[in-house]
Amino acid sequence: MSRQEIYSPEGLRVDGRRWNEIRRLSCKINTHPISCDGSSYLQIGNTKVMTMVHGPIEPKNKSSLLQDRAYLTVNLNIPSFSFFNATTNKKLSKNSKKILELQVSLVNIFQDLIILKNYPRTQIIINTIVLNQDGSLISSIINSISLALIDSGISMYDYISSVNCGLFNSKFPILDLNYLEELDLPFLTIAIIGKSENVSFLLLENNLPLDALEKILAISISGSHRIKDLMDNQVKKSSKLRIKSINEQSIN
Amino acid sequence: MAIENPSKRLFTNGLVVTQKVFVRSRNGDASKVVREHYLRDDIPCLSKGCTYCQNILKPDPEGNFVHFTLSATPLSLEGLAHHYLVLDTNIILHAIDLIESSSIFFDVVIPQTVLEEVRNRSFPIYTRIRSLVRSDEKRFAVFHNDFHQDCYVYRNPSESMNDRNDRAIRQFCQWFQLHLSTYQDKDHYSPIQVVFLCNDRDSREKAKKEGILSKSLFEYIDYFPNANDLKDLIPNYDDEPSNDFSKNKHQITYPEYYSTAKLMGGLKNATLYQGIVNVSPYNFLEGQVSVPNLSKPLLILGRESLNRAFNGDQVVVELLPKEKWKKPSSLIMEDDVVNANDNADDDDSEDNKNNKTISISETERKLLIYEALKTQNADPNSESSVILPTAKVVGIVKRNWRPFVGQISSHSIDLNDLKSNSTKSCFVALMDKSLPKVRIRTRRMKELIGKRIVISIDSWPINSKYPQGHFVRSLGEIESVEAETEALLLEYGVEYKPFSKNVLDCLPKEGHSWKVPQDLNADELIKKRKDLRDRLVCSIDPPGCVDIDDALHARRLPNGNWEVGVHIADVTHFVKPNTPLDAEGASRATSVYLVDKRIDMLPLLLGTDLCSLKPYVDRFSFSVIWELDDDANIINVDYTKSIIKSREAFSYEQAQLRIDDKNNQDELTNGMRALLQLSIKLKQKRLDAGALNLASPEVKVHMDSETYDPSEVEVKKLLATNSLVEEFMLLANISVARKIYSSFEQTAMLRRHGDPPATNFTLLNQMLKVRKNMHISLENSKALADSLDNCVDPKDPYFNTLLRIMSTRCMLAAEYFISGSFSYPEFKHYGLAVDIYTHFTSPIRRYCDVVAHRQLAAAIGYESLDIIHRDKNKMDLIAKNINKRHRNAQFAGRASIEYYVGQVMKNNESSEEGYVIKIFSNGIVVLVPKFGVESLIKLESLGDPNSAVFDEDNFELSFKNKKNVKRTVAVFDRVIVQVKSVFDERTSKRKAELVLV
Ligand SMILES: [Zn+2]
Repeated sequence: MSRQEIYSPEGLRVDGRRWNEIRRLSCKINTHPISCDGSSYLQIGNTKVMTMVHGPIEPKNKSSLLQDRAYLTVNLNIPSFSFFNATTNKKLSKNSKKILELQVSLVNIFQDLIILKNYPRTQIIINTIVLNQDGSLISSIINSISLALIDSGISMYDYISSVNCGLFNSKFPILDLNYLEELDLPFLTIAIIGKSENVSFLLLENNLPLDALEKILAISISGSHRIKDLMDNQVKKSSKLRIKSINEQSIN
Repeated sequence: MAIENPSKRLFTNGLVVTQKVFVRSRNGDASKVVREHYLRDDIPCLSKGCTYCQNILKPDPEGNFVHFTLSATPLSLEGLAHHYLVLDTNIILHAIDLIESSSIFFDVVIPQTVLEEVRNRSFPIYTRIRSLVRSDEKRFAVFHNDFHQDCYVYRNPSESMNDRNDRAIRQFCQWFQLHLSTYQDKDHYSPIQVVFLCNDRDSREKAKKEGILSKSLFEYIDYFPNANDLKDLIPNYDDEPSNDFSKNKHQITYPEYYSTAKLMGGLKNATLYQGIVNVSPYNFLEGQVSVPNLSKPLLILGRESLNRAFNGDQVVVELLPKEKWKKPSSLIMEDDVVNANDNADDDDSEDNKNNKTISISETERKLLIYEALKTQNADPNSESSVILPTAKVVGIVKRNWRPFVGQISSHSIDLNDLKSNSTKSCFVALMDKSLPKVRIRTRRMKELIGKRIVISIDSWPINSKYPQGHFVRSLGEIESVEAETEALLLEYGVEYKPFSKNVLDCLPKEGHSWKVPQDLNADELIKKRKDLRDRLVCSIDPPGCVDIDDALHARRLPNGNWEVGVHIADVTHFVKPNTPLDAEGASRATSVYLVDKRIDMLPLLLGTDLCSLKPYVDRFSFSVIWELDDDANIINVDYTKSIIKSREAFSYEQAQLRIDDKNNQDELTNGMRALLQLSIKLKQKRLDAGALNLASPEVKVHMDSETYDPSEVEVKKLLATNSLVEEFMLLANISVARKIYSSFEQTAMLRRHGDPPATNFTLLNQMLKVRKNMHISLENSKALADSLDNCVDPKDPYFNTLLRIMSTRCMLAAEYFISGSFSYPEFKHYGLAVDIYTHFTSPIRRYCDVVAHRQLAAAIGYESLDIIHRDKNKMDLIAKNINKRHRNAQFAGRASIEYYVGQVMKNNESSEEGYVIKIFSNGIVVLVPKFGVESLIKLESLGDPNSAVFDEDNFELSFKNKKNVKRTVAVFDRVIVQVKSVFDERTSKRKAELVLV
């Protein structure tokens, strides 16, 4: 039994948020301008994820060469120091089934989003490393990749933004779960394209009553839109800064 | 250990984020944990007199706003203005009974810091506080001060967590007072004072310095006019000098418990064991603990080894050296007999004299466990198998303390004391004989003598021979109906309080005028119901039955077969999952039937009206409809939610008369005749399959209709119509069980009855063979049923029934379970001889049936099944609770009959026929069927003990009786006994005493 109330009758969660509040989100793009073509750092609550995108580049070996479009690879690295509680949670070791599965899902999400046919006979490599975990891991990874791709300038249709949402007491949807809440509540992770209602990814690993699904989806979609806006603001802000510094350089 | 990191960052408007950093150690590994912690400014104070907080509300996911509970004009007392109370953790933990009482404590604020401390210290008390907050009756509110940016305090370096929490509570009090004086609506209400109740003197001092009005519990109660009465209810260990029990602090009676670290370590390397203590009902100084790894329980002998453990406590035990291993004692030891002369004011430490500590090394201790295993697995006939490993209690994980019922034991008090009204100590003997007596202090000794009282246990200090408690309330005169009924409800944990407001709020607003809607296309669900109002449905129940669960109909189909319908009250139409009403039903789990009282599982409005399938009105029901051929074979079965209209509610007797009257040839009666014929065939099939027909001495108490004095005891009679209803209910339960199992393979709510272990019958079969040359076969239930039928003594018509009663006692109890916990062959119901079974037909009075209804409704696609009935763990908990409540309800019902039978016998002493059912070297056990009582007759009261000869092989005891005539009694003998009821001084209970004539 947890030592605290997961969602108190007064409407507050373990960390003091209300049901529809997402955690503090901060992000940066172009964190590694030299070593790769696009990079991002994203932090939501205490979950910290970094992504680097290489490409489009010449494929390292011929087997990953496609005539009509680019070949997309995602490498996910979740080191053991990132775990919330390093002693008890060792489920996700490298090359474990779960990681491999996740990599495949990520490839599937992004190959529909990136206009791959613009880059035939090339390869795009996405490397993601998780620095710290405190819930919403998969959504943070998706958001971070989305940002790094935008930074790389690879053409894509729109942002993709993701959030998770749990269900308390088979009744109350709870947005953006932290680690403690994920332990106690059934939840789903969803990824949305741009400001649309197109669901490009939905992951549900626990039992959720079917009649609650609609409610949860509605809240997750509006949550994703909020995250998209936050990321968009950050991208615009940093773009302005970069344009300014380029202008300054050109004047000099 | 926590290190606070005082870095705050403004996040969005009104939300500040900070980090809680602490180091947690688990299994010896330390790990650093960082958690986010959001501080906000939009937490309302919940006072109705506040003008500010109404404007900062945020809706919950369903669009509702939090409800303001605290009154704008709270209580004022002489010397104390209108005030809100803020409670400290120690007050809640120690005086929860007082807090719950209806006379004091209104408009109370519980800071989150306190609530969390309470939750960590005692989860049951936490739930009690939460239900007080929920019920709104006493206007309790929780304020989340740790999430409020003006109330949150950082922990200073070198400050303990406790001190930090105390400071947080004081910070809240200060803020709250300031908030009230700023924002309170002063035009309409007089100012409100915040009063901080705290029993810690140090904390009160600090509060005073910070300008907070703080009081101890005693000081606060002193403001009330009836302060003296209230003080009795205050538990026994705050810092008031008048309440100091332990004068002799240096005297140590009990060994100290091990430290937590030592306990954890010991459990980990398997030198210590954890389990639940089971104290013998015959010997309060002998307990057993079942631990994993050992097939038989460990024995715990003596006061010192039990070391303050209560029956049912979860404890940690350590094995004793081998020379201390013993046989279980065969003595009967009762607390008051052994320690009758203890003075309630003294603490003697005589047990301590021969307390030599024996030290054994770790390795020896590990060897000991192998010895213990070896001893337990030894050949059952060898001497060593009789010796059991013994252990002592070295730590208590969880106390099984609850309110206990007892009475002041008369020899613990000085009659001269009764004259004065000062506080006196006395012992309370508890009704449960396996528990020690409890010392309480009270001013009201004079009133309380001869009463049944409820007490609460506060603590059991190391230097006190007995646990210390305090008086909670009086139930009334011993032996009075009210007191005894309430006492047995409390003892068996039956919830009998009236339903709370939030439960009643879940009932239909229309109340008794609720009707089945006229428009059958009103909504999607009602469209799915089948209109069965044209069927000639009737109900058959015991006379005077008001909660009619079931009704039946039968009609001939054009193809010559029968359409038979069983219609069950549609309780789940009104009881929806995740409502307070459902939670209450799930926790009560069953209605409890006492001789003169019924404690309902669901509110009366549902049970006796809206759900009850009363005649002449439309009702919602859940129907199982079969097509049966003339031989009662099932051709087809259909399940549907429906609307019915019962034509008549019969009693068993009325139904029987109607069927027997040949002149009645109307359709309804003919339908009933058909049902009767079909039920006879169903029963025959069941018996052919091996269903058992066992008996228990069920008795019924007749009440004098005018005075309600119990006047006569009668053994229950059965009519053919009883079995008519029973057969169709069984058929419905079986059909439903199959259906829900096919839809919910893992979580279907079912009921099983295991095969009785052959060893249970060994003794009975030996007795049968020697005395009657008969035998009970155990190959399967069919063989058992047949062999029971054959055990007939032509000279004694009652013998067969007696044997069935005795066989029943050798059986296992049936239990509820979740289909995922057993494999299909283990679903079997032995007594009914069916492969699968559940309870579906009494949803008004059993919660299992409610679950079965929901699962069946989902299985037929009527509505979706709530997640809690699809979650295996949650369903397991539900099944466990139902089993426990069901058992307790049976015990309570039996105890109630026992009490009334005692009252009947008090008035008429008589000679009755009895049967010897057990025989010992020093006495016999006789059962009197007329009263359903049995009792031991000791050899001393039979005659000369020295002349007795006990023939163990022939189950015979011969002795010279009081008239010096030789007499022999054997098991199964019919004897005449004088039955009288005697009052047992110690337990203050009546019990039957038998004397052989
Ligand atoms: Zn306010």
